[in-house]
Amino acid sequence: MEIKIAPVDEQVKEMDKGYDVSRRRFFQLAGGIAGAGLLLSACHKTTPNKDVYIGSGDTALLNYLYILQQLEAAFYTQAFATPYYGLTSSDYDLLKDVRDQEIAHREFFKRLLGADAVPDISTDFSLVTFADRTSVLTYAARFEDMVISAMNGAVRLFTNTDHVLSISKMITVEARHSAYFRNQISLNDFSNGVVDTNGLGQSATPASILTEAQTFIHTTFDKTQLPN
Amino acid sequence: MDFKNILNELEQAGQKINGRRELLTGFGSKVMVAALPFAVGSLFQKASAKTTAPDTVPQALNFILEMEYFAYNYYHTGNNTGGLIPAANQAGFLTIENQKKAHINYLNTVITAMGVAPFTPKNYDASAANPLYIVSGAYDFTAAGKYLVFSDYPTFIMMCEVFEDTFIRGYKGEIPAVLGDKGTLELMMRMQSSVGRHASHARYVRRLLGYTSAPEHPSPWITDNIPPDVRLQAYYDGEDAVGQQGVDISGLSGSTGAVPHYSATAAFDEAYDKSVVLSLLSPFKT
Repeated sequence: MEIKIAPVDEQVKEMDKGYDVSRRRFFQLAGGIAGAGLLLSACHKTTPNKDVYIGSGDTALLNYLYILQQLEAAFYTQAFATPYYGLTSSDYDLLKDVRDQEIAHREFFKRLLGADAVPDISTDFSLVTFADRTSVLTYAARFEDMVISAMNGAVRLFTNTDHVLSISKMITVEARHSAYFRNQISLNDFSNGVVDTNGLGQSATPASILTEAQTFIHTTFDKTQLPN
Repeated sequence: MDFKNILNELEQAGQKINGRRELLTGFGSKVMVAALPFAVGSLFQKASAKTTAPDTVPQALNFILEMEYFAYNYYHTGNNTGGLIPAANQAGFLTIENQKKAHINYLNTVITAMGVAPFTPKNYDASAANPLYIVSGAYDFTAAGKYLVFSDYPTFIMMCEVFEDTFIRGYKGEIPAVLGDKGTLELMMRMQSSVGRHASHARYVRRLLGYTSAPEHPSPWITDNIPPDVRLQAYYDGEDAVGQQGVDISGLSGSTGAVPHYSATAAFDEAYDKSVVLSLLSPFKT
């Protein structure tokens, strides 16, 4: 089930400037988020308890990354539709940019997968307080770092090297996103804890990343054929 | 037209094309791109086939090492130029310098383990107190006085942006050379992901210096192919690509309507061949 965010998006459009978040607006948003939370928990109870098969080989790997891009795109869609308190004009522009780039990534994987693409996933952002700047920036950085680790670890598992070249072009864009959100939390802290003493970014296996991502996803997956 | 015929047509088209742009144009006129996402892969290999032999793995890593030396020397000089970098920004550029240094040391180890001599810059002196820093005779980061990088902070930041964006392209240009070596492939990915952070930081700092007065309206990512200075256009040529693996990214579904063109370009960083990157960096070497 998809969360319908259109009405909130309309509210944003009606405002002269989307980033001019008043105190009154803050409380409206907080209410909207409580409602979204209810919707998500309702969704959880009605989700059929059947694992979605993600395929094998390269198909499974593409679906794995497609799932992560769905998660990122859904997060930024919500974050942009219900912007945090104190959002500046620059924040507004760049949040929209990141949202649209993650949607581009999501739709790219969907197109590569064709009929093998998993259905739309059901997300759970109940841990995120979308009205709170620190919460949004912290989770944004966390999702970006997770995707960077995932892509860094996945490239070696692909058979079709054309996919590797495309993913390599996305990794540095995800790194640009992460560093941006980290800089917003604290200037100059763009790599703290995520680049090791050899200057290497993180890398993790598909199994470990999917376990981490599951915290934010109601849909469950049959990943028995996922290369690792 | 059945599937096999389409493939035959594509094979024939593949003989005539030289670049991705031509490929996309020709391809689009043949068939709906959407119809054949997987057929496109083999075409690209044909389109990108080089006339010269591809680099070996150690050659690819030595080129990365060459870029990292360049970068380290730039930041080391900047960080040690009194009065150049404001106090609030010093920590970030020290972090970048240290990660460039870590890249050099790690690459030296990896390349040596392959039984190959690691790259060293001109005038390298192993007995120097800090051999990684070439005091003179290797680099001229002002390009003979064109860019006053160590006396004007905005120029220093502008060239951080251009150099980092170019390094990222250089990494991607060498990925085809290491596809057969999974360990090196993963190493390159992890290393370029930290370079992506450096580029983001440089661009963000430049944005904080003044968004509207900068020609490219800097974001942490590259939008279209707009350079920060018209003299630097060549460093950004091709960054406005919207075709990836035969998919037109700007034709995919966006938040409302299609993905905006500028987002389709920004969502992917583009590759440059080693020869191009070397020629782009050459004005800054002596």
